[in-house]
Amino acid sequence: MSKYDPIVYKDGKRYFYRFSAHQRIQHVVLFSSVLLLALTGFPLRHADEAWAKPLYAALGGPEVAPTIHRVAGSVLLVLFVYHTIYWIVKFIKNDLGKLKKENRLTLGTGIKAFFTQEMVPNKKDWYDIIHLWKYLLYFTNRPPRHERMSWREKFDYFAPYWGVPILGPAGAVLWWRDEVSHILPGWVLNAAYIMHTDEALLAILFLFFVHWYNVHYAPEKFPAAKVWLTGYLSEDEMIHEHYAHYVQVMIEAGLEEEIQQQHFGGEHYEW
Amino acid sequence: MHEYRFHQVLLILIVLFVATIPPGEVQAGEELNCLICHKHRGLSRIDENGKFRLFYINNELFESGPHRRNNCQDCHTDIVRIPHDPAKKVDCTQQCHVVEPSGKARFSHKPIAETLAMSVHGKLDAEGKPKKYQEDYPGCKDCHDQPLYRPLSVFKGEPRSGISERSISRCKSCHRTGNFAEDFYEHVTSRLRKGRFPLETIEVCAKCHQNPGFLERHELDDAVTTYEETFHGKLIKLGSERTPDCLDCHVVEGENTHLIEAKTVPTSATNKANVGNTCRASDCHKKASAQLASFQTHVTYEREKYPMQFYMLMFFKALMAVILYFFLTMIFFELMRRLFPAFAFFKESKADDTDTRPALKDREQ
Repeated sequence: MSKYDPIVYKDGKRYFYRFSAHQRIQHVVLFSSVLLLALTGFPLRHADEAWAKPLYAALGGPEVAPTIHRVAGSVLLVLFVYHTIYWIVKFIKNDLGKLKKENRLTLGTGIKAFFTQEMVPNKKDWYDIIHLWKYLLYFTNRPPRHERMSWREKFDYFAPYWGVPILGPAGAVLWWRDEVSHILPGWVLNAAYIMHTDEALLAILFLFFVHWYNVHYAPEKFPAAKVWLTGYLSEDEMIHEHYAHYVQVMIEAGLEEEIQQQHFGGEHYEW
Repeated sequence: MHEYRFHQVLLILIVLFVATIPPGEVQAGEELNCLICHKHRGLSRIDENGKFRLFYINNELFESGPHRRNNCQDCHTDIVRIPHDPAKKVDCTQQCHVVEPSGKARFSHKPIAETLAMSVHGKLDAEGKPKKYQEDYPGCKDCHDQPLYRPLSVFKGEPRSGISERSISRCKSCHRTGNFAEDFYEHVTSRLRKGRFPLETIEVCAKCHQNPGFLERHELDDAVTTYEETFHGKLIKLGSERTPDCLDCHVVEGENTHLIEAKTVPTSATNKANVGNTCRASDCHKKASAQLASFQTHVTYEREKYPMQFYMLMFFKALMAVILYFFLTMIFFELMRRLFPAFAFFKESKADDTDTRPALKDREQ
């Protein structure tokens, strides 16, 4: 864990650690496979549209594109399983290991450690959503103070945990339809078809509108956030998006004197 | 001035008329020289029912069609001299003058018509009584829509199949007389490949099976639109030729294409007992079990007929609406918040916010 310094300095500016190289590579594999899946899947879903045939032909047409789709799907499924194992191992090694070292490991503290992990939703997220709406409707000029993971990032993070278990098995059933028919009746393919195509539409719309708003379209992010490449957030971004975490990191680094105030509405928009 | 314009128009008309006379020799209908009149593109009249009738024969299309070795009179038997009276409709089941080489008998399409009569598309029901809405049941030309029967469409750039010159040159080195090589080549190769592209087959079926009036009269679901919703239909739209069209599933493998039977008939390819075998036919779902048969191809998503599909679709639509409306509304308000960034009804002052540990403050809420 301590491989990465929580704060690094470059050109006299502070940068705050966010994602390890290991996590960044997982993200690249994730979005590459999802983009390939979308490119080879949506022309088929919308075969009636004028763009469908040329796009499908560019990706190899009916002879090749399904293979690309299946390879990308397999990669995504493997990544999904890998990441889940990675998460469990990390939890056991870091969180439970720490408790054991301190001789405090019981069932109660173990469960508590599980639910206080940074990506697990908690009560503060609920307050943050309410506070955000207060801010958006002009009832306050102070934006919410997020922890290391804001509720939006948690939603983005857990979206694949809903999408992949639906898309993956349905896709596998459609892929091995002949073999599956020895175990399951044919109408399962009707169900798999709806699950696969409609959940795919939800996933892609969410990614292209909501996730891409968060990291691409939002005026302060446009054209793209850099954290997925560098793994570090600038001090401004940190204050803007994760103020609670920012204060905590600064205190832990012994920089309590240099903590800057939170940006209120109207302050610090670089656009 | 006025007269001058009249002459101009007349000249243009003459030029246009001359330009539209097709070049080339007269070939079709040699015995009565039918083309002496029927070669003219404007040869037409309005018949008793007020319908526009075109009598132009495009010789180029005729020469590339399957009937090119027949004389006009072989089909239009009621015409014995020219000029002729209004001709009757051609009966495709009559014997024509071509001799079928294997049995040396005169050729006829009668066996095909008999097969069609036994199929779901026949005009009589099992007891021999005429079915309702006779005019909806197809005759030969409703499906075998040759360009020759609509001679003007060829000028709209409709594609036509042709003969491979390289292949035919190998035949012609021995079979030199007349057009024998071309005719034999076409006759055999047209049976080696699929008669039509899958998209053309679907288009033919769609003429009736996607026609709202027809569907209502016969109380049928829209078979074409529902098929186009399946992966089969979509892959064909994207250019696949290895994906089944209507005929691949609705004709028993190896059976005559004209014998499409209703799924209630025990021998039908789509009968519950046979669907499994139909799916496993040829090189389709060879490894599948007969259980595959319970797959529903023509799903309309009506609640009564397809409850599982209906409720699944509702679930996903509702989920999508809830998630996307929540986040898109939030994004909208977030952008609107930027219009007056410093404004708020109740302002928190920075002076009140000197606590450097707000994180801990929030946690205690």
